[in-house]
Amino acid sequence: MTLQYVATTCPYCGTGCSFNLVVQDGKVVGTAPYRRSPVNEGKVCPKGTYAHEFVNSPDRLTKPLIKKDGKFVEATWDEAYSLIAKKFKSYKPDEFAALASARVSNEENYLLMKFARGVMKSRHIDHCARLCHASTVAGLAGAFGSGAMTNSILDIAESKCVFVLGSNTFEQHPLIGRKIVQAKMNGAKVIYADPRYTATARQADLYMPFVSGSDVAILNGLMQEIIKNGWEDKEFIAKRTKDYEKLKEVVMKDAYSLENVSKISGIPVESLKTAAEWLGTTKPGAILYSMGITQHTVGVDNVKSVANIQMLLGNLGKPGSGVNALRGQNNVQGACDMGALPVVFTAYQKVTDAAVHKKFADAWGFPDGICEPKNGYEVTVMMDVLTDNPGELKCMYIMGENPMLSDPDLNHVRHALESLEFLVVQDIFLTETAEMADVVLPAACYAERNGTQTSTERRVQMWRKAQDPPGEAKEDWQIISELAAKMGYAKQFPYQSAEEIFTEVAAVTPSYHGMNYERLSKPEALHWPCPTLEHPGTPILHKEKFSHPDGLGIFTPIEWKPPAEVPDAEYPFVLTTGRVLWHWHTGSMTRRSATLDAEVPTGWIEINPEDAKALGIKDKEKVRAVTRRGSVEVPAKVTKDIMKGIMFMPFHFAECAANILTNNALDPIAKIPEFKACAVKVEKIMEA
Amino acid sequence: MAAIGDMFYTWAADADVLKKGECGGAITALQQYALSSGMVDAVLAVRKGADIYDAVPTFITNPAEVAETAGSLHCGTLLLSKLVKDYLDSNKTARLGVTVKGCDTMGLIELAKRDAVDLDRLILLGVNCGGSVSPVLARKMIREKFEVDPDLVHKEEIDKGQFIIEYEGGHKGIKIDDLEDEGYGRRSNCRRCLYKVPRQADLACGNWGVIGDKAGKATFVEVCSKKGANLLDAAVKAGAVKTEPAIPKGIEIRGKVEGAMLNLGNKWRKKNFEALASDLWGTIGRETGRCIKCYSCIENCPVCFPAAEDLKGKSRMVISGEVPPNPMFHLRRFAHISDSCINCGQCEELCPMDIPLALFSHAIRTEGDSAFEPKLGKAPYTN
Repeated sequence: MTLQYVATTCPYCGTGCSFNLVVQDGKVVGTAPYRRSPVNEGKVCPKGTYAHEFVNSPDRLTKPLIKKDGKFVEATWDEAYSLIAKKFKSYKPDEFAALASARVSNEENYLLMKFARGVMKSRHIDHCARLCHASTVAGLAGAFGSGAMTNSILDIAESKCVFVLGSNTFEQHPLIGRKIVQAKMNGAKVIYADPRYTATARQADLYMPFVSGSDVAILNGLMQEIIKNGWEDKEFIAKRTKDYEKLKEVVMKDAYSLENVSKISGIPVESLKTAAEWLGTTKPGAILYSMGITQHTVGVDNVKSVANIQMLLGNLGKPGSGVNALRGQNNVQGACDMGALPVVFTAYQKVTDAAVHKKFADAWGFPDGICEPKNGYEVTVMMDVLTDNPGELKCMYIMGENPMLSDPDLNHVRHALESLEFLVVQDIFLTETAEMADVVLPAACYAERNGTQTSTERRVQMWRKAQDPPGEAKEDWQIISELAAKMGYAKQFPYQSAEEIFTEVAAVTPSYHGMNYERLSKPEALHWPCPTLEHPGTPILHKEKFSHPDGLGIFTPIEWKPPAEVPDAEYPFVLTTGRVLWHWHTGSMTRRSATLDAEVPTGWIEINPEDAKALGIKDKEKVRAVTRRGSVEVPAKVTKDIMKGIMFMPFHFAECAANILTNNALDPIAKIPEFKACAVKVEKIMEA
Repeated sequence: MAAIGDMFYTWAADADVLKKGECGGAITALQQYALSSGMVDAVLAVRKGADIYDAVPTFITNPAEVAETAGSLHCGTLLLSKLVKDYLDSNKTARLGVTVKGCDTMGLIELAKRDAVDLDRLILLGVNCGGSVSPVLARKMIREKFEVDPDLVHKEEIDKGQFIIEYEGGHKGIKIDDLEDEGYGRRSNCRRCLYKVPRQADLACGNWGVIGDKAGKATFVEVCSKKGANLLDAAVKAGAVKTEPAIPKGIEIRGKVEGAMLNLGNKWRKKNFEALASDLWGTIGRETGRCIKCYSCIENCPVCFPAAEDLKGKSRMVISGEVPPNPMFHLRRFAHISDSCINCGQCEELCPMDIPLALFSHAIRTEGDSAFEPKLGKAPYTN
């Protein structure tokens, strides 16, 4: 018998916790704490405790599948590659689109990006970061010149005032929730704003329930109150920022008086006053936010407003401060860093920049060139193009994503994917999306691969292989490389290991330039930017100056706008969506984990008792939730933990999929959909 | 022939092990001998992982690899007991040599009481333990209190009431008392521990009481069982280790060190338990109100046995999927382990919300022991 502990990083949220996989006779049989991790010190959330349970599920994909006459038939790798290569070659570059994955490694995202732009010469590559933090990348790049969480997880514990807005940190990033607790134990004030009285709300010193979609109004109102009391950091504003006067002009409007903001948001004036006083007088202060800020048609506006208030308070560039955009998925930061976005190569180097384009064309050495130096389509736009302009996009290669459950307005997504001529899906299970594919390729899961992933705090950490993939499944980088070779580009994809790919990534990526596997193998790993081999990495951004050429942060005056769809007589409630502690996104992993599934086996819709009473709905009663996009039947959870007028659904569950209901209205800049607010009605289901 | 209660200075015969091992490398040599002679089928010990702050459990079947486990790691806050139960004892055939601290030993005893491990098939090489320091806190302490880059430290030890580090360019020691008053130092459960010499293992080994010309070059070994005596005798006979009787003065010093550690443990109990008593329900309610139901306290507890998977989530009072869970989630666990909590500290150290769970269950156990006869029989250890 053999027994080994293999330390690796968690495949779920963006916190970047580590644990050991316990490997008995070559098979993963359990998890065990890895105490040496500086991020989580051996502690994990329920998903981490049971992260081994799905790994050897009997329904893992083990062989390539080719759809013949509407049914999947097992195939050899060579048959699958031959078919895909033949089909892919038959399309023009821009008829092809690729979806990379926030779930796989940096190396593999880089490689799919290289495949799309180099082999297929297509402009169209994106991934589900579009659905979570596209507005952060755009908003913070505008304000600070760099679109990532400004501080490190560990220094949140040093904050004296933690303002959590649009993040249920205890459930979504539990080990960051611990840092809020530590800050509180060190004497910090905790302010929490959310329509739901969540597990996070219970730890707050000030809880402010508010109507989803009123974020800009709240932040403008707080800024007005701060300025009125002279609590702004005048020195910081003068030395480190510009356009303050423009901001002031907007936020000082009467529209953003606390009385008016109270009317828009539902937060009592007294609470807003207290919040402004704590923010204004207790420094350093950190703001933590997540999807509650970003997933709106005003997502970029929301993010810029967060940046505004932190610049106003001088809460940047020091421990315990910052704009802490908590990224949702294990490697969503990395997938963005790797250029799996339609407008940038790695490290946000613009595809439209001629010098950058040449740099990548030269580095890759494709004899027939790479894609045009033009922006491509975002995933949300791809879906619209598929339905609205048939024939423009014809084939798609999806690696480790499940848009058939994760994207807004699922009926629309189904229509879009059905419009494709040829769809290849590479995954570990036959997901709702894979079922629609022409070819399905079986991939390795996190426990079966080496590679790196980048957590929300820009810390690049290792995944370490604990067991072989099941059956004939392969690591994504192997599949992409072999497919590229089949298409005649073996020379451009010569890799024998993930490490070789990382070496190439580091060479073309300024912020990763000083990284290599030897350095990343240390438990502390490295935070980007890390430009040279001697550089210690950068846990806190913008210490001395911002990343704009002039080094200044930019205030952007923002006016509040309501969500794209607001309640009316027909659809009288606001529907908001989110995750729960026990499950992960589309549930393909967590719903196959026995313990997590036993804890939460299906979804629900949260309804305030007063609303439930008016509708005649009882707790646990199955009801029909209807929006302009569709309807689902779902059990009601009647709870005073949600505001009157607001309803909430978790989005993990295919049998009562929240995203059948959500609105595909997009932020005009970031193209992120408004998952967090749409108009809904709830009906009793009449017995026939 | 060694007999129970005998005490020896013991050291490895092999020059390489002598050099690599701590205090003469006796434990490494004994484990190596047990494995190569076929007394055990495998050895479970701890080796250094990424650095001196990273303790990794290692399961060894090749005697040549035992040397990798030589040396001590005070940042090794692992508990091996449940590992034996979950992964190694399930087939009830293998014989194992296990290097154990006091808490590992107590955990195995509690598991054996519940027929979850078979002590007859284990040879336990006990090591004295004055307490361990969580790795991340140790690094912070070295950076902030010792003002040394933790990456430059190549050795740490706890000796004569001090935490001592050796690093490139020197060594430094600070009194544990001073460190702990400022929130550094040993885990809080270790501070309260009264089981410093694991006499319920087969051999109890350590450096306390090794004086004279063998100081630092031999391990003090107390023979605690017939199995232990057999191992020592056979290893001596085979030339794997060398021994000489411990010097009476050394035995006396060892007793004094142990006594001092026990006094310190009692001091911490008084401090922690009295503070808790001043607002018992309030503290438990407030602290457990942060629980995110990760189940780490259950999965890592050597005396918690989760019920069947399908029962884990649901009961009349503990509704599934609820965070924080109903307080009964904690009360039923405290009840479950009430007369068996060994104060290993795993629940507390691994709690993502830093709930002082070991403090609560340790207080319950010690108060219980003082008032009731234990249901599972009196423990052969005192803690």
